Amino acid sequence: MAKEIATFIVNGQGYEVIVEPHMLLIDVLRDSIGLVGTKYGCGAGDCGACTVLLEGKPVFACLTLAVTARDRSLTTIEGLADGAGLHPIQQAFVDAGAVQCGFCTPGMVLTTKALLDENPEPTRGEIKAFLAGNLCRCTGYVKIVEAVESAAGILRNGGAR
Amino acid sequence: MHRALLPFEFSEPASVEEAVALVDGGRARALAGGVDLVLKMRLRQETPERVVSLQKIAGLDHVRVDAHGGGALHIGALATLRQVEQSAAVTQGWPLLAEAIASIVSMQTKVMGTLVGNLCVGTPASDVAPALFALGARVKIAGVGDERDIAVEDFFLGPGVTAVRPHELVTEVVVPARPVGSAGRFLKLSKTADDIAKVNVAVSVAFSRGTCAHARIAIGSAAPTPVRAVAAEELLLREDWCPATAKAAAEAAARSVRPISDVRSTADYRAEMVKVLVRDALTQAADGAGVLDGHDGKEA
Amino acid sequence: MTNEPHSEFSSVGKSLARPDVAAKATGAARFSADIALPGMLIGRILTSPHAHARIVAIDTSRAKALPGVAAVITHADVPKRGFTRSVMAEGLPPFAYETENLDQYILSDKARYIGDWVAAVAAVDLYVAERALDLIEVEYEVLPAVFDPEDALAPGAPVVHKGWKDNVAGVIEHPFNRGDLDAALASSAHVAEFSGRNSRQKQAHMEPDAAIASWDDKGRLTVWSPSQNAHLAKKAMGRRVFDIGEGNVRWITPAVGGGFGARLSFGVEPVAAMLAKVTGRPVKVLVTREEDFNGWNSRTEQRQTIRVGVGEAGEITAIEQDVLSDSGAYFSHSGTISAVNMQSTLGVMRSPVVRGKALMVYTNNPTASGMRGYGNPEGSFILQQALDIAAEKCGMDPVDFRLKNARGPGEPSMWEPQAITTCALPECIRRGAVAIGWDQKWHGWGAGKEGRYRRGVGMSIMTHASGAGGFLLEHSTAVMKLDEDGTASLSVSPCEMGQGILGVLAQIAAEGAGLRYEDVRTVTGDTDVTLFDIGTHASRSTYAIGNAALDAARKVKAIVVERAARMLGVESEGLDVRDGRVFAVADSSVGVSVAEVAHAGIYEYGTDARHIMATGKHQSVMHCPNFQAGFAEIEVDVETGVIKVLKLVIAHDIGRAINPLTVEGCLEGGAAQGLGYALTEDLVIDKGTGKVVSDSFATYKMLSALDMPEVEVILVEEPDPTGPFGAKGVGETGITNVAPAIANALYDAAGVRVHSLPITPEKVLEALRAHGAGA
Ligand SMILES: Cc1cc2nc3c(=O)[nH]c(=O)nc-3n(C[C@H](O)[C@H](O)[C@H](O)COP(=O)(O)OP(=O)(O)OC[C@H]3O[C@@H](n4cnc5c(N)ncnc54)[C@H](O)[C@@H]3O)c2cc1C
Ligand code: FES
Ligand code: FES
Repeated sequence: MAKEIATFIVNGQGYEVIVEPHMLLIDVLRDSIGLVGTKYGCGAGDCGACTVLLEGKPVFACLTLAVTARDRSLTTIEGLADGAGLHPIQQAFVDAGAVQCGFCTPGMVLTTKALLDENPEPTRGEIKAFLAGNLCRCTGYVKIVEAVESAAGILRNGGAR
Repeated sequence: MHRALLPFEFSEPASVEEAVALVDGGRARALAGGVDLVLKMRLRQETPERVVSLQKIAGLDHVRVDAHGGGALHIGALATLRQVEQSAAVTQGWPLLAEAIASIVSMQTKVMGTLVGNLCVGTPASDVAPALFALGARVKIAGVGDERDIAVEDFFLGPGVTAVRPHELVTEVVVPARPVGSAGRFLKLSKTADDIAKVNVAVSVAFSRGTCAHARIAIGSAAPTPVRAVAAEELLLREDWCPATAKAAAEAAARSVRPISDVRSTADYRAEMVKVLVRDALTQAADGAGVLDGHDGKEA
Repeated sequence: MTNEPHSEFSSVGKSLARPDVAAKATGAARFSADIALPGMLIGRILTSPHAHARIVAIDTSRAKALPGVAAVITHADVPKRGFTRSVMAEGLPPFAYETENLDQYILSDKARYIGDWVAAVAAVDLYVAERALDLIEVEYEVLPAVFDPEDALAPGAPVVHKGWKDNVAGVIEHPFNRGDLDAALASSAHVAEFSGRNSRQKQAHMEPDAAIASWDDKGRLTVWSPSQNAHLAKKAMGRRVFDIGEGNVRWITPAVGGGFGARLSFGVEPVAAMLAKVTGRPVKVLVTREEDFNGWNSRTEQRQTIRVGVGEAGEITAIEQDVLSDSGAYFSHSGTISAVNMQSTLGVMRSPVVRGKALMVYTNNPTASGMRGYGNPEGSFILQQALDIAAEKCGMDPVDFRLKNARGPGEPSMWEPQAITTCALPECIRRGAVAIGWDQKWHGWGAGKEGRYRRGVGMSIMTHASGAGGFLLEHSTAVMKLDEDGTASLSVSPCEMGQGILGVLAQIAAEGAGLRYEDVRTVTGDTDVTLFDIGTHASRSTYAIGNAALDAARKVKAIVVERAARMLGVESEGLDVRDGRVFAVADSSVGVSVAEVAHAGIYEYGTDARHIMATGKHQSVMHCPNFQAGFAEIEVDVETGVIKVLKLVIAHDIGRAINPLTVEGCLEGGAAQGLGYALTEDLVIDKGTGKVVSDSFATYKMLSALDMPEVEVILVEEPDPTGPFGAKGVGETGITNVAPAIANALYDAAGVRVHSLPITPEKVLEALRAHGAGA
């Protein structure tokens, strides 16, 4: 395969993009599709800022060859909120003070989504373990863990606080 | 230093045979989860002309127990670390392996990265390798028209060098059923919870009347490859179990490593920690195997 | 009405959600690298693989010939105008600016460290730009290099900069030296001494550097970048890097993904500006994380010795501090950080005799800079251990020793000509000690703990500036204007890099003007709109910019009251404004909304129209010191040397917490950085080659969520009369006490001290061996 027009299904919507094998998913999302909410922090799988959900599972967009994500369902941070409001996880991050500079936040929120989809009632230890691949330089994680706990509670309540 | 990859050809074969024909070990590289390969390509540590994705090959993503083959665990080349870690068969039958994978804390790495890919990287710091050494695993390698099967200890040849030859691919890792009454322990020292090991140790032991009837000790990050501490194992099988035996075995284990100093730790510290970790792991595993309260040798 | 604290306030003292965070949670916020302009090119920089090498020749012809390449530039193409990376230095008084070394150019004609910038490319996309980099051929003449500041001082050492033949980049005498040190130490009952060094901690902001530059048809430059001090950067760009004047530079600061001091320096902006100039198109320069680690920012490594003399009664008689700073390849912040280290370190304890001296030395290591705490975490690691040693010599409890000797209200502050106004340090110490359980857990000196796992407690105290008054130019101007609907825009110049300053300033302004918090918009990030300010550092924004905002808000309120009085036909004296409504204090049913007043002011068809607005200002030669006590409880495994931190306590003298949630988050984040600084973070440089070995997050280890212990933050509120609603600074401080408190706890637990950061298990084990304890 060389240059080709491929389809990416991002947040439920199809995008046709010219891709080459050496293009990374993060660059296709950010530069070709224009969804810049996915952040580039290290390009090495070390920080988790680029986390997106591939078929619901958290992956590094910086270490994913774009061609391997063709025709598969992707969720980026832009696809989380339904309509104008915030998704309960996003709201919990805002309310708990879990967002400082916000650069890690898209990755944190999506990793949290993957956690809560799999385990709706995680312990503090399980939260920390699931988020350990997402670095945050600002918060010291205290309020992030609190936000995830509170989001879990809200989601168990069907989205109500 | 680079932020983008160099151009390359990309293939997505549908079968192992096709894939084996393509991967030549040098110019054409296999891609499983890509966690390691893609990073190395960005850093120009690998510059393949062709990348052969294994992801479209059906029938490689299994984690299953083979009831006919003596209850061995079969892990396919596309089974992710997360899949193995979460498999009920693994947590119940081979908890040592689950424990080792749990020490890799980056969730995205475990979701993307395969267990076989982790081995194929060939790093002496693999957390999976010592567990597989201790469990006596074997690696199945497919070539053009043939297949071979080697002990996992023989898979690692040097830093970044494995037994996989050009036009070969690992298809499966097979872990035999655990010896009756055995218990294992995995211990790891690292700078932070999410770091690669300074030293890691996996042991598997079983006892009969106060003496070791089965002992396997493996150590990572302390030599050019993960190593088995055979002399220490022999000592355990010879001597009556007591704290002094554990200590003596740990000292023997330390003689089977050749650690270096690098960004993570020093050679001296590693050598010293092999002793501490092997002794601690043996003591804790012995406890798990029931030797201390006289329940050894019985099925848990 | 209620008895909740500060109920006299509507906004201040409440944990209100910041205005910028929802967009950060949805991915809508735009950071520099997220911005794309029409016709924009991508720029990349070629770095040197040699630590010290003369560039004999550069052949760019093959790179230039590559389709899609718009420009390739080298040192031959850049202005021959030296500058310093420290943009913050622009705020120094002229006599001090003269001691800054203007030793840097946009691209270097000689490589002085591995990673030094040799050439740059602008191309249609990233892929072409990087292929062009690979095609640039550089012929180097490799020169002997020096990587240790002490070696660099030896005769015959390689010379890093021609103009500084002995590699001495600068010498600073502490401005407040006094007394006869030798005599004081000789007559002291005890002298405690501690030497050691800090690591080159990386700021490691999660957002990598990026900058966009664009020139218009009139030769005016616009820069988009994560600068912490855009107005000073604008000056440095217009006056030092290029000779175009400040008016020809506009600086836009998009969302900033963390700063921690790194962005008080130029990042890639000068290169972006040069490439944009040459190509006539907007250029966005990107870097990799590895380049950042190999590059141009980290805490400055300082080797220090501190001696403390004490008298019979445990009173400090003298303190001496000796600092050797490794500037690295370029001067950057190494001078100012050495000076601030001495001011904060020598400024916390009372002492009749003080002596401080710093020497800055060039080496072929990566360029250092300033990081959160700016000298204070460096000095405190040494001083706070020396204080414990002194306390032990006098047989005093470390808590009592500090309570006895710490400076208090009315005494000179760290900037000595100014007295301390308020100081809640004793309260911080007492409450922190209770929170950690000091009385139960500290069993006296030489408690002789046994067993494999040994627990210990330790403490540390510090003072830090709230603002730069005394050190730098310190003034700030805020403009507040009311729109027709009674909402307000507050135009100010902080950098919102996560600390929550946009919300805090809106809270202050809303409170001051009598508006609702949600009706105040903080406008910042564009030097064409905002007025001059030295930027976000020195823990100053809440204090200094907050004072300017409050001044503007109060003036707006006065105008509103005055015009409302006329509308209502009452005397203005009896009116107040709260939550967007003007009302008579005596009868709150008499009133008018601020919206009506504002609207009427603009839509006034006679001769009295007024768009209600006011300008507020803060200027000061003092810096309102804040104080803090930190405590740690640890457990050390004497067989592995592994330190497990059980709990950290940070008790901070905040004056007034305008937004308690924000302050807590700031201190928790600071504590996490302090913990990394204490235990794991280390920019490791190969001593033979000068190569940064830990050039990724895989090797430079910051803490993950799993590594964080319990952190208890205690806010002690004793309003300072000079701060907005009594607030003092906090931004940098959470980091400072952690490493010394852990170091002192290690001594309590196991009787050993480690002299360099980070305190790794390897070093702990070695210290235990030397001590004859442990395994
Ligand atoms: C942030 C982070 C943290 C990590 N932490 C740890 C840790 O703590 N402990 C640890 O042990 N590991 C750790 N790793 C390593 C990680 O587990 C491995 O990189 C990953 O499992 C590799 O698997 P992969 O499927 O992605 O391999 P790929 O990157 O796809 O392949 C790796 C190599 O193996 C070859 N290869 C892959 N499959 C086959 C096959 N079937 N046959 C022959 N050759 C093949 C490829 O050609 C390539 O050379 C970490 C990685 C990251 C990014
Ligand atoms: S950018 Fe992908 S993990 Fe850091
Ligand atoms: S909020 Fe800044 S990195 Fe997490």
